[in-house]
Amino acid sequence: MSRAAPGAGAVARRWPAGRAVGVGALIVLVVLAVLPLLGGTSNATLLTLTLMLTSIGVAINWNLTGGFTGYVDFGHAVWFGIGAYATAILISLQSNGPQVGWPPVPAILVGALVAGFLAAIIGRATMRLKGPYFSIAMLGTFVALREIVRVWSPLTGGGVGLTLPPYLNRMLFYYVELALVAALVVGTWWLRRTRFGAALMAIREDEVGAETRGIDTTLLKTAVFSFAGLSTGLFGALWAYQNTFVDPDIAFVEVRTIDAVMGTMLGGLGTVAGPVLGAAALYWVRELLWTHLLDAHLLAQGVLLIVIVLFVPRGLVGLVDRRGTSLFELWGWKGWRLEGRRLHRGPAAGGEAEAAS
Amino acid sequence: MRRSVRAFVLLLLLVTATTACGEGSVEDAAPAAGEAAPVDLSAFDGTVRIGAALSETGKFAVEGRDSRQGYNTWVRWVNEEYGGIRIGEGRYGAEIVYYDDESDADTAANLIQRLIDEDRVDFLLGPYSSGLTTGTSAIAEANNVIMVEGNGTSDTMFERGFRNLFLVATVASDYTKSAVEALAARGVRTAVIAHEDTTFPTSVAEGARRHLEANGIEVLAIEKYPKDIQDVSAIMTKFRNLGPDVFLGGGHYNDAVLFVNAADELGFEPDAMLITVGPSNPRLVEQLDDDVEGVLGPTQWEATMAYEGDWFGSAADYAAYYRRLWGEPPVYQAASATASALALHLAIEAAGSTDTDAVRQALRALRADTFYGPIAFDERGVNTAKPMGTIQVQDGEILVVAPDAAAVAALVYPRG
Amino acid sequence: MSYFAQALINGIALGGMYTILVLGFSIIWGVMGVINLAHGEFVMVGAYLAWMASDFWDVDPFVSAPAVFAVMLLFGYLVQRVLVNRIIDRPALVSLLVMFGISIILQSVMKVTFSADFRLANTDLDGAWRLTDRLTVPVTRFWVLVVAVGVTAGLNLFLGRSRLGKSIRAAAQNREAARIVGVDIRKVYAVTFALCIGLTGVAGALISPLLAVQPFQGPPLTLKAFAITAMAGLGSVRGALGGAMVLGLVEAMLALYVDRIGTNLAVVASFVLLVAALVLRPQGIFKGLRHVDATST
Repeated sequence: MSRAAPGAGAVARRWPAGRAVGVGALIVLVVLAVLPLLGGTSNATLLTLTLMLTSIGVAINWNLTGGFTGYVDFGHAVWFGIGAYATAILISLQSNGPQVGWPPVPAILVGALVAGFLAAIIGRATMRLKGPYFSIAMLGTFVALREIVRVWSPLTGGGVGLTLPPYLNRMLFYYVELALVAALVVGTWWLRRTRFGAALMAIREDEVGAETRGIDTTLLKTAVFSFAGLSTGLFGALWAYQNTFVDPDIAFVEVRTIDAVMGTMLGGLGTVAGPVLGAAALYWVRELLWTHLLDAHLLAQGVLLIVIVLFVPRGLVGLVDRRGTSLFELWGWKGWRLEGRRLHRGPAAGGEAEAAS
Repeated sequence: MRRSVRAFVLLLLLVTATTACGEGSVEDAAPAAGEAAPVDLSAFDGTVRIGAALSETGKFAVEGRDSRQGYNTWVRWVNEEYGGIRIGEGRYGAEIVYYDDESDADTAANLIQRLIDEDRVDFLLGPYSSGLTTGTSAIAEANNVIMVEGNGTSDTMFERGFRNLFLVATVASDYTKSAVEALAARGVRTAVIAHEDTTFPTSVAEGARRHLEANGIEVLAIEKYPKDIQDVSAIMTKFRNLGPDVFLGGGHYNDAVLFVNAADELGFEPDAMLITVGPSNPRLVEQLDDDVEGVLGPTQWEATMAYEGDWFGSAADYAAYYRRLWGEPPVYQAASATASALALHLAIEAAGSTDTDAVRQALRALRADTFYGPIAFDERGVNTAKPMGTIQVQDGEILVVAPDAAAVAALVYPRG
Repeated sequence: MSYFAQALINGIALGGMYTILVLGFSIIWGVMGVINLAHGEFVMVGAYLAWMASDFWDVDPFVSAPAVFAVMLLFGYLVQRVLVNRIIDRPALVSLLVMFGISIILQSVMKVTFSADFRLANTDLDGAWRLTDRLTVPVTRFWVLVVAVGVTAGLNLFLGRSRLGKSIRAAAQNREAARIVGVDIRKVYAVTFALCIGLTGVAGALISPLLAVQPFQGPPLTLKAFAITAMAGLGSVRGALGGAMVLGLVEAMLALYVDRIGTNLAVVASFVLLVAALVLRPQGIFKGLRHVDATST
């Protein structure tokens, strides 16, 4: 019955499809990797692609907690801001004294570690909360940390922020982020096949039950939460370098969380490909189409959000792959199952039926 | 039944979406009125391509539109009235490629990179706001493209040692200079400062503190407050108890409303109130009427100022030309935009080419009197020749009271 | 001494404003379990209505408030019928996202209709009463406080005494049980939502002379309502008053007694308090309509 373990048979039967998807993904990766080498891309294209990769990366990380463990984080962008700020602080030490600032690579890595470390501390506290209370606590954390960064001016430059030396090698940042996103995709794909991944999904399905079966849920969910924080912090650190300056209002942006949630929902919550497809689609739709709608693009976004939530709860991936998590199964609505296109309540033959479909 | 409800909702959403698109195109049509008329550029010997990312949507939509109209005023004038930019013997038409940066830093960065790489523009004009200018100017610098701007004035971006960024407007730290000097002359002894804790207001406040102290005025307190503040009673209570002669404050338009209301509610009545953003906007005066009487505010430019130049004529001539094009009087953001484009234009003519190094040299050497005031850049790229004006609301009218050269009315102090 | 007294007055005045801002949000959450992320936008729509009344017909916001209430009541009912009804039986994420969608839609519709320009309504109830030279009472905020207390008392009576009020409380405490004893849940929800949006509109009308009215003023107000409600207990009318007052006073004191960055700290305070209250006391500080323990589903 547990959806955490659809059974080895199901996995085996899925192999051919999985292989096709894998080969497809590899082709996309190779194209993305080779294209700039052929000289077909300007810096502007590289920057556009890098920003898209950033938004995909953040969506994948959001999906780790939001999709896999079922903890819907409404403040995830806080780690982006922390990573960006920690890096900026380390680098900009340079401008105050004679060469005391850190070189880029350690600054970026330590920036990400700071985000991960803070995420571990805060996640430990807030992940005791369930459902919407966790979401709100994270939203509160987001705003509180932004304001603390603003107040702590000797270190952070306050509301004025910090400027970094303009080091704008678009090609380098593009490849770094491409590699990161590729690693994250492979990582989540692999995660779903490990006992660790199964345990995470057990938390989502029935946390108390998982605990009684001897799973240390606190450790697991805090671990995955801090990893997501660290990884998003890394994207933030890279972004700070490319943006050449940080201030509280551009480093901590609600829209980053919103985009991660929307992208993941559009693609498919709790799936490997979902956040990638969703975030990419969202980015391009906005880039290509909505810039022409001017003011109405906000309106279109609102309408789209409502339509996705109400009518396509499984996202793009859910249209072809039934293993994705339905929204209805999150947050205390374990009784609901989406079978075919109909919602059912109760412990129907859902589990097996879906695994076999 | 279920199905029909669902269909109904879907229909409703679709209708909203299509109406939205419809209204979007109405909005689309509005700036089209602010568009440069399609001049046949082939009549010229060549074209100077200039790029700008401006906010048509998002929080800077209003100022973005004003800046765009300001740039387009120059384009219309240079192509239709002036007969093209003179480079050597040739006459070159001007073209500006615009994108909407959505008031967003990432988008602005992306678009500036696109203007440089794909549109291959010769020069850049600045976006609106210090935040967006800080990010985009770094890209211009890294790609060695000149950016001239008039609407991003924070001091921090001129402390980065950039060679390609030029500001025709007065830098933020000098916003209050003429006002402070005028007040010092009237015997002001003490002052308090409140500012929003973001880049531009902080630069203004730090500058204000320097100017106050330089003029022998004691600063009794400096208070910061965050963006999106909803209550400033505490700040005003503190200030009331200090009893200063002058209150200086600023950040956003809403802050001006909060300050004026809170001062009124708490009976805080300093002899002068200088508010950074708001007083020069006729809308604030209209909405707060009596309460803003006597309030001072800095202004980059007003149509009544006694500036004159060989291009556009006097400030009043410029205002008349602008009004003829766009059907509304120019706000200073628009005038700053036009002046940025004009400074670039003059430098190109002086350099006799569109080569970046030559034009940079020419910009550094530029000394010109214009409708916007004198323009001369210092080694940071800041125009230090033009003083900041100060206005005062007198009988509901916005009148320039300082510096003396530009004043049309005497400063009323105490405000009554 | 007068300094402290003034801080007290400022804090209570601010608390009054927060009370009227938070009531509708708190009750919707407490009764329906829906977190109204579009709350600030409903405030904003109410503020625009009051501004229109003030600007076009010269009607004081305190006078137009009942009319705003009626219009927003209707608007709330419509939104409830078309969208909210479809999400109350669904998981919290669904309702959060749908309400968020509504908030974006309202922002952009108002932006397209009224532009991003700031507006301000005009009220005759402005200025200050001077008790002493260093002690003043802000008039507009005083009347906002009076309305807030009045509305709180009225709501308390309504929920405690009237038949409909009792049904609402029953639905909040135990939906299934309420249904069994014959409460029409759909009707109760429709009434609750409409009523709360009406109240929220009134809040907008009352703050329209105090804060600049503009399409993007909502999100900070929603966050504030959030913080107060989560601290004070869901759907607790007295809790809303208490929480709003506590926050108002904390902010006023911090802002007044800390130099330079006091106002900054006051803003941090509400969010630090929010997170701390959730983590340390997940069941809420006041007893709400709905018993909650945030650590269990």
